[in-house]
Amino acid sequence: MAGSNSKKINITLKVWRQKSAKEAGQFMTYEMKEVSTDASFLEALDQLNEKLITKGEDPVTFDHDCREGICGTCGFMINGNAHGPQKSTTVCQLHMRTFSDGETLTIEPWRAQAFPVIKDLMVDRSAFDRIISSGGFVSVDTGNAQDANCLPVSKPEADAAFESAACIGCGACVASCKNASAMLFVSAKVSHLALLPQGQVERNERVDRMVAQMDEEGFGACSTTGACTAACPKDISLSNIAKLNRELLFSTLLRREAAEGDGV
Amino acid sequence: MAGKLDSKIPSGAVEDKWDDHKFHSKLVNPANRRKHTVIVVGTGLAGASAAASLGEMGYNVKSFCVHESPRRAHSVAAQGGINAAKNYKNDGDSVYRLFYDTVKGGDFRAREANVYRLAQVSAGIIDHCVAQGVPFAREYGGLLSNRSFGGAQVSRTFYARGQTGQQLLIGAYSALMRQVDTKQVQLFYRREMLDLVTINGQAKGIIVRNLLTGEIESHEADAVIIATGGYANVFFLSTNAMACAVTASWKAHKRGAYFANPCFTQIHPTCIPVAGEMQSKLTLMSESLRNDGRVWVPKTQGDKRPPTQIPDAERDYYLERVYPSYGNLAPRDVASRQAKFRVDEGRGVGPTGMAVYLDFRDSIERLGASKVKERYGNLFQMYDKITGENPYQVPMRMYPAPHYTMGGLWVDYNLQSTIPGLFVLGEANFSDHGANRLGASALMQGLADGYFVIPYTLGNYLASEKMEKYGTNHEAFKSAENNVRSQISKMMSIRGARSVDSFHKELGHVMWEYCGMSRNAEGLRKAIEKIPKIREEFWSNLRIPGDAAYMNPELEKAGRVADFLELGELMCWDALEREESCGGHFREEHQTPDNEAKRDDEKFCHVAGWEWLGANKKQVRHKEELTFENVKLATRSYK
Amino acid sequence: MSATIERPYLLTSVGKKMVMGITGLIWAGFVFSHMAGNMLILVSPEAYNTYGHMITSGVIVYPAEFILVLSFLLHVGCAVSLVRGNMSARGGQRYAMPTNGEKAVTPASKTMAIHGSLILAFIISHIATFKYGIYYETTAHGVVMRDLHRLVMEVFRQPGFLFWYLLCLILLGFHLSHGVGSIFQSLGIRNDRMAPVINKVSVLYGLIVALGFIVQPLYVFFTLGNR
Repeated sequence: MAGSNSKKINITLKVWRQKSAKEAGQFMTYEMKEVSTDASFLEALDQLNEKLITKGEDPVTFDHDCREGICGTCGFMINGNAHGPQKSTTVCQLHMRTFSDGETLTIEPWRAQAFPVIKDLMVDRSAFDRIISSGGFVSVDTGNAQDANCLPVSKPEADAAFESAACIGCGACVASCKNASAMLFVSAKVSHLALLPQGQVERNERVDRMVAQMDEEGFGACSTTGACTAACPKDISLSNIAKLNRELLFSTLLRREAAEGDGV
Repeated sequence: MAGKLDSKIPSGAVEDKWDDHKFHSKLVNPANRRKHTVIVVGTGLAGASAAASLGEMGYNVKSFCVHESPRRAHSVAAQGGINAAKNYKNDGDSVYRLFYDTVKGGDFRAREANVYRLAQVSAGIIDHCVAQGVPFAREYGGLLSNRSFGGAQVSRTFYARGQTGQQLLIGAYSALMRQVDTKQVQLFYRREMLDLVTINGQAKGIIVRNLLTGEIESHEADAVIIATGGYANVFFLSTNAMACAVTASWKAHKRGAYFANPCFTQIHPTCIPVAGEMQSKLTLMSESLRNDGRVWVPKTQGDKRPPTQIPDAERDYYLERVYPSYGNLAPRDVASRQAKFRVDEGRGVGPTGMAVYLDFRDSIERLGASKVKERYGNLFQMYDKITGENPYQVPMRMYPAPHYTMGGLWVDYNLQSTIPGLFVLGEANFSDHGANRLGASALMQGLADGYFVIPYTLGNYLASEKMEKYGTNHEAFKSAENNVRSQISKMMSIRGARSVDSFHKELGHVMWEYCGMSRNAEGLRKAIEKIPKIREEFWSNLRIPGDAAYMNPELEKAGRVADFLELGELMCWDALEREESCGGHFREEHQTPDNEAKRDDEKFCHVAGWEWLGANKKQVRHKEELTFENVKLATRSYK
Repeated sequence: MSATIERPYLLTSVGKKMVMGITGLIWAGFVFSHMAGNMLILVSPEAYNTYGHMITSGVIVYPAEFILVLSFLLHVGCAVSLVRGNMSARGGQRYAMPTNGEKAVTPASKTMAIHGSLILAFIISHIATFKYGIYYETTAHGVVMRDLHRLVMEVFRQPGFLFWYLLCLILLGFHLSHGVGSIFQSLGIRNDRMAPVINKVSVLYGLIVALGFIVQPLYVFFTLGNR
């Protein structure tokens, strides 16, 4: 809102520039004048890019899409924090009024072995897709469902499942974790489906496969520092990880093996 | 020509059409399905659900998305809910009522048969999504909860807090990823469709640019499904995500698919108002807020007092005043227009005077802040983050913004475009919402098309035609590839002075000014003059830094804006030639004395399908007459 | 779901953390009882030596030692394997700044591997000093037994030893303040309601163990040791 509290500030951006995964990157410093405090952080980057393009330089590449904090596409580090200093926020929802005049901001991409840099602040998070495809679903073909109200779900359970399902898959948990662990992401999906009656049938196989795929992708282990949940724009709780640990243990202890050769 | 717009609506009573049609459709036997390849472009609700369902049936599916992951598609941002005729509330809902509300909500410019089918399959969508583990809101007894949405007097909207689209998309995305795991679906991410390949008049494949490497790739299939969403980004500022574009649809249009009703755009009444020059998008606040929020402006012009200091007697709750029976839940087109009238009267609020209040004071008093938080917590938080104001204490400021486009590629009852083998699903087609879409119906339509319609109608096409394989070395592929390459090198070689965004903003201003919430002949003619000039400058003064051989977001944007520059002109032509007001299309020349839309059923009870004839040539307008056998054409009233 | 790609539980990162948790629990329990028992040094040399004799002369000592050594080796082994995995997961490029402000994490949680390694060195030196150190004998209540009390007196009279012990015991407390809470997480026993309690108990546990241990060498150094 060109609201009554709207101001213009000057800031210095130290931005990580890297042409491709193969080339080495470095920080470049840009002075930004007259940035509106009503602008979102991405709009400030738009402003920088507009200036760079006019000067004939390569604009800063960053991933973004919905710009309303739900698609999970955007995200980078601002001064050491994933999605910047404000809790429960994605960078697209972070507004410049959070910063003060004259501040210097260091901007880096998510850094993790499993998230290779594509260009500048853009990284490849396809490892998350592979983890989901390893088991983050209920195997129900279209057309098989019974009436939706056949299986009541208690409100607390449904609410808890929703809290876990709220994950937007942005990768801030991995980025902020000293171990680049994907446990918060994986556990949110495991909890979401384990909490619902629809998820029971494949409950054990799901956690086995998702954890195996997570390790396969080269993410680290959980040290329970809580950096992930602090950085999470959707406040996914650390308790999901405890639940995942429990699920995997019970799956290992109690799972019945499928008989061989009973495929179609 | 008229024969070309054959809607192929099956005969019989409206409630039997779909069942009869399914029975009479040809089938592809399970063993033969694996011999067929189907391309699905887009992985939103429509695309992901179609790709997953077709994969489950045994087709080889190639799924393409412009994003880094299917889960990023913009369906994710839908907030409020999804309609279904379940009548769980015992409040008089039925398939027929959902059908009736949708036809009426669309101001009688949708096809009855399509809408009826949509209402019929709606209940199955909820069942399927629950089975997938979508965590819909529930009551304490464990059963599903409902809320009300605009344009309906029953509670039929299912929701997952303010994140229904996200949860439904994760459901469809998971189903898709499950098929990726079984190798039934091959996923191509960060690929943008830049041309459609037709051979002997049939859609046979697509050309895509690999956004990571810049490579141009050809993909062949027996049928192509486009589910790439709408084109509201033609206005630059809209509630759409940055990557939302008309490009895939437009390329198909240029290859012979008619574009229907492009002027039918939905301006959503409750969006956070524009703040400044650098603003890149507008954020929607769910229609569900109007369940408990009251919309008002001060009674006197230029009243600059803070809202909390304006007493009730000096507030004009104009929706409740003008539409006593629907009140704050008047449909979107109506609510938006009323907001514009208030602002035009000089009674707008906020620093720019371009907003109205959406006030929760009374609900907070009635329900308590905690109940309001439970219902809308994430939306209130979002508002607070963007504006820096706390909506629990001061009313939200809202203004309409482009949100959804009812127009799109023309399709028949089978969702097939005018190009055989090219099917169009979801927002990308024009079929079910007429001139205005009711809230919570977009998710319903996207999933209906993908889960429950295309699995039947695609099979009928594949079984009816002889499917030849040509290979991507066929000259049609080669020439389409060359087209794409030459367009890219043309854009790269301009090396002018202006950024893509500057052109996009310029176009957006023209579209909003002349083809936005209300239109008139003079303005539309002006726009039709202005747009080609912007286009001309675009092609001579555009600057794209870097090169085309690697990730280059400016190049991607340029391609999309180039298509918007053509589409914008068509929208204006469509708006100009539709000499009536209906739904979201409001022609100032055609209104009732009390400023309501005035339809002309004599002359315009039809769908306009536009045919591309070549660059810089005026397109030809074809008609598909609409017949209403079940719902009586009437003046839409929400009073 | 299609063909599985599972791996044995103990080879998953989660499985290794479970081992860390269980072995950590054993050692957390052991250090507490060790600290509590050693408090007898404040009572009298006889009490201290008798207690030492009692726990080393019973049959229970062999299985107990076996379990402790095994836990210790597993704890260290899993830690080494996890840390290697974690370092490779993080990749070569470090961030310019650490997390901070509202998103900061506790210093203890970030540095487990560092104080863990120092504690490893400490435990080895500690065992070398006391278990395999000089063997004095004494008689209490008519039983000949090792005079550990005398050894303790001699060792902590030296400021170098005192300093090394103080440092390592503070680190041990630090390690426990995060580790004990983490055990609950790794074993899967934690929810949002209990999390704040667990975190507080964890810090308290570390504090009690560290302070309890620290009192002993300080007591020796400042009172009896200098006699």
